[in-house]
Amino acid sequence: MPAKGSAKASPSPTPKKGQAPRPKSSQVKGRSSRSHRSNLGPALMIGAVVAVVALMVFVFITGTEDEAAQAGASEGAVDKLTSIPAATLDAVGVAGDPSNVNPLPAGTPPVVEDGKPVVLYFGSEACPFCAVQRWPVTVALSRFGTFEGLEATTSPPSPSTLPNTPTVTYHGATYSSDYITLSSVETASRSGAALETPDDLQSRLLATYNVESVTGSNGGIPFMMVGNLYTWAGSQYDPGVLDDKSFDEIVDELADPTTDVALEIGTTANYLTAMICQLTGNEPADVCTSPGVVSAQVAFPPA
Amino acid sequence: MPVARWVPPVTTAMALAATAVAIYLTIAHYADPDLLVCSDTNTVSCSSVTSSDQSLLFGIPVALLGLIWAAGVTILCLPVAWRAAPRWVHQARLIAVVGGMAFVLWLIYAELIIVGAICIWCTVVHVLTFGLFAVVVNTARDVFADA
Repeated sequence: MPAKGSAKASPSPTPKKGQAPRPKSSQVKGRSSRSHRSNLGPALMIGAVVAVVALMVFVFITGTEDEAAQAGASEGAVDKLTSIPAATLDAVGVAGDPSNVNPLPAGTPPVVEDGKPVVLYFGSEACPFCAVQRWPVTVALSRFGTFEGLEATTSPPSPSTLPNTPTVTYHGATYSSDYITLSSVETASRSGAALETPDDLQSRLLATYNVESVTGSNGGIPFMMVGNLYTWAGSQYDPGVLDDKSFDEIVDELADPTTDVALEIGTTANYLTAMICQLTGNEPADVCTSPGVVSAQVAFPPA
Repeated sequence: MPVARWVPPVTTAMALAATAVAIYLTIAHYADPDLLVCSDTNTVSCSSVTSSDQSLLFGIPVALLGLIWAAGVTILCLPVAWRAAPRWVHQARLIAVVGGMAFVLWLIYAELIIVGAICIWCTVVHVLTFGLFAVVVNTARDVFADA
C-alpha cells in the first residue's frame, strides 16, 4: 500500500479517468514561449523609456557642447579675455568719445553691497546687445577682481538681431574683488526661458534709474550702473566689429591694439575702468593711473 | 497577494517620497521659485525650469498636477490597494503609472530640449515615477492573472 499522499507525489504515467492528459512536451514548450513573450512586454516598455530618455540626454549634452563650439571658443580663450594685458589697453587709449553714459546727479544715494560699491549689470542671455556689452565689461572688471566659471556662449540665433554673436555669460559665474561688488543678473537663457530672478537691490535700481528721464529707456537692457555715479541702458560701441567673428578671433584681435575690435572694445573698457576708478577712489593705483585709464578719465564727463 | 511581498511597501514608499517632493515644488511655485535648494549653474537651474512656460499646463502648474498624481498613486500603492480584489484598482494603478511616465517623458523633453536646464527636484520625482512605472508594469501580469 502506498504511503499516504504518495499518489500525489508520484504522478501516474497514464491519466486516470477524469484527469486532464499530461501536456505534450511541445505544448509545454509553447506555454513557456508564450510566458517568455508576455514577460518581454514590460521589459520592452521599460527599455523604450530608458532609450527615449537616453536620446534626450544625448541631444542635451551635445547641444550644450555645441553652444561653446558655436561661439568658436577654444580652451583657454575665456582666460585670455580676462587677462588682456594692460599694455594693450594703454596702447588703445581712447579712440573716441564715451558713448551712452549718463552721470547720476550729485546726492544720489550710494549703492553698496557687502561693504563695497556696486557695479550693476542687468541683462539676459537672450539679449544681443547684452552679448555685445559683456566684452568690455568683462575686460574692465577683470582689472579689479577675478571671474570664476565664465563660459563662452552666443546671443540667440536668427531672426534675432545680431544673431549668434559670441560672448560670455555671467550666469553661473562668480566675481570676487577687494574693491567692488559685481551685482549681475541674467534674467533669461539664450532660448528665452527664465534664468535668474533679480534680487531686491537689482529690482529697485532698475525701477528707480532705468527710466526715460535718466537712461532714456524704460527698462531696456543691458542696464548698468557704476555705483551712484553713472548709468546707462544699451551697449556702448559699434557691434559691427564683431560681425562674422568667432570668440577666438575676437579675443585674438582684442590683444592687438591696431584692430577695430581692440579700438572699440578696448576704448569702452578703458572708459568703464575710469568710471569704476572714480567709484573706488582710484584703487588699485596701478590700474587707475595707467595711461589708458588716465586718458579715459580726462575725456570723461565729470560726475 | 499575487505580487512579491516587497512590492507594496516599496511602491508606497516611492509614491510617498514623490508626494513629498511634489509638495515642496508646489509650495515653491506659489511662494518663490528661489525657495528650492538647488545649485544654480548653466546646466542645473531649478528656477529656470519651474518658472518656464512649460511649468504650466492649461494654466495649471505642473508641480500641482504632479502633487495630485503622486497623492493618487500613493493611495493606489498602499498595501490594502494591492490586496484589493476589484480589478479596477489594479487597472487604475497601471494606467496612472503609465500615464505618469508618459508625462514625465514630456517634462524631461521640456527641461533638456526646450528650456535647456535641469531641475534637480523635478528629476527626483521623475526617477521615482520611473521606479513606480518599472515595478507596476513588471507586476501587472501577475496582478491581473489573479485579480
